[in-house]
Amino acid sequence: MKASERFRNLLSGKPVDRLPVIEWAPWWKLTVERWLSEGLPKNAAATVGSLQEYFGLDRCLQLSVKNRTKNTPKEPARGAGIITDEHDYEKILPTLFPDVGTVVTEERIELLHRQHEDGKTLHFLTVEGAFWYPRVLFGIENHLYSFYDYPDLYRRICNEYADWLIELFRYLLPRFQFDFMSFAEDMSYNNGPMISKQLFDEFLAPFYKKVIPVIHEYGVPVFIDSDGDITLALDWYASVGADGMFPLERRAGVDVSVYLDKQPQMAFLGHFDKMCMKHGEAAMRAEFERLLPSMHRGKFIPSCDHQTPPDVSIENYFTYVKLLREYAELVTHKDTEIAPCPVFSENRREKI
Amino acid sequence: MSILNEISEKLQRGRAKEVSVLVEQALAENYSPADILNQGLIAGMNEVGEKFRRNEVFVPEVLVAARAMNAGLKILRPALISSGVKPLGKAIICTVKGDMHDIGKNLVKMMIEGQGIECIDLGVDVGPEQVVCAVRETGAKLVCLSALLTTTMTGQKEIIDALVAAGLRDRVKVMVGGAPITQQFADEIGADCYAPDAASAAIAARAFFEE
Ligand code: B12
Repeated sequence: MKASERFRNLLSGKPVDRLPVIEWAPWWKLTVERWLSEGLPKNAAATVGSLQEYFGLDRCLQLSVKNRTKNTPKEPARGAGIITDEHDYEKILPTLFPDVGTVVTEERIELLHRQHEDGKTLHFLTVEGAFWYPRVLFGIENHLYSFYDYPDLYRRICNEYADWLIELFRYLLPRFQFDFMSFAEDMSYNNGPMISKQLFDEFLAPFYKKVIPVIHEYGVPVFIDSDGDITLALDWYASVGADGMFPLERRAGVDVSVYLDKQPQMAFLGHFDKMCMKHGEAAMRAEFERLLPSMHRGKFIPSCDHQTPPDVSIENYFTYVKLLREYAELVTHKDTEIAPCPVFSENRREKI
Repeated sequence: MSILNEISEKLQRGRAKEVSVLVEQALAENYSPADILNQGLIAGMNEVGEKFRRNEVFVPEVLVAARAMNAGLKILRPALISSGVKPLGKAIICTVKGDMHDIGKNLVKMMIEGQGIECIDLGVDVGPEQVVCAVRETGAKLVCLSALLTTTMTGQKEIIDALVAAGLRDRVKVMVGGAPITQQFADEIGADCYAPDAASAAIAARAFFEE
């Protein structure tokens, strides 16, 4: 089965030959440095794709799209913003939103097609979400105040960003069939979401309700990428039509079986507790055993719940990939009844 | 509703200007500065902390409430000083070496200040020498250390070890926290206290100074 067909079948609730064996995140620099000192060949560490190949993972390549240009002011310090108020925003506005044809050029699109031809590669597109994007403009701390200090500006920022994204999707998605896409959010932490449902509904939901249907028109499933405990936020993102979430950080208290109960139409990626990897094969096997019943329920792809930490030796990482493959091969969904993701549901198709 | 309750209410809703006006009014009506602080501002901040712990309010609400508290304190401070009301104590807070995460640290700082404790913020990426110096210079009795990464959490132990080596360990209490930190880890590295969230951290800090 080709990688794209396997992924699509999985999210449509159809049988598969096995689960994908993927890492969605690029590796943590410190971890790669450690592995280089333990014998990882330099050329294998050259790109995310070469690392995936070296470790025997299925290829899963990400295309991140920039919404700013080289003329957009740089943040004055890490985490600091580039705007305070509407006046500042209007000043930088002409520097935002590059021409969609230049962000992803025809050559780049051709390259995507060539990479995809091997039938072994998954491609996903990543853009910033309605929590992350304003955070870059306002800066980490002011962003959190901005819901109260500049509510109209927040809404305007998201609305204009959504318009640009729609233009981008209408240009890009007919030219290349991504297997899925993700919105980078990181709006949660160990104790839950950073914002309330009320703020989500008021500021984030209109953005998602505007862009997700457009992405769905092209048959692309939409994942939300948020660290931390997203148990509450899961329902909020479900309410705006998201198809899936990752990485379901275990140490933040996430339990995927609860998610499968709560939102059975959604797909989940991640959730393998990266903190157990340093303890070796027995600990990792125990972690896979914990996940296996949920894997059998459908639309759950186990994968590291964020970047592998630098305390994991290259030997342990090889063991992890070996076990990931072993467990992925146990799941075929032949005799299981599984709800499709919203993008592949009959309901949606009828609506079109 | 009494004016002190009103201060607490407005503070909880992050209404900085209204809190300032009410504090001025309360002073004009001869409420004692200590009562305005404890039954108005601190009472309000305690409510916010409790609600934050129960996920009834979230990070932005805590931030705007803390800002309202500061606005009120600014008006109240001269009266507090002239009536001899002192801060409950002095604390130092920072995120440890190699670590840039500071949203949690900032919340802990605000909540601790919300208890009437002076809190000196050394920022992020802070190593043992800086903490030792700051303890010497300020005479702070509480050191609060935040770490968000498994690669930097050992920085908390390095700071505790440096305090021991500098002969300062008996003079300060050390409180640790951050996403990867657990009670067990805090015990292992010889910290005095661990708190899982900013509200619990503030309660523990108050308890230290009231001991
Ligand atoms: C936002 C975020 C970032 C932002 C930080 C912005 C900033 N200025 O703070 C950015 C994007 C910059 C970032 C960068 C990185 N991050 Co980061 N980040 C997060 C995220 C999503 C949320 C953290 C947060 O802000 N929480 C909100 C606050 C309110 O919560 P909190 O900090 O936990 O604080 C609460 C309690 O812990 C406690 N507390 C906090 N401090 C203290 C102190 C004391 C004394 C006490 C008592 C209590 C206490 O009270 C607080 C409030 O109740 C977490 C996910 C998570 N699960 O936490 C990942 C996370 C911490 N990051 C992670 C990683 C890997 C990174 C990077 C290394 C990524 C990379 N490869 O570049 C870099 C590291 C940069 C550096 N050198 O520090 C990993 C760490 C994994 C690990 N092995 O340790 C996490 C867990 C994500 C994950 N899914 O694995 N990150």
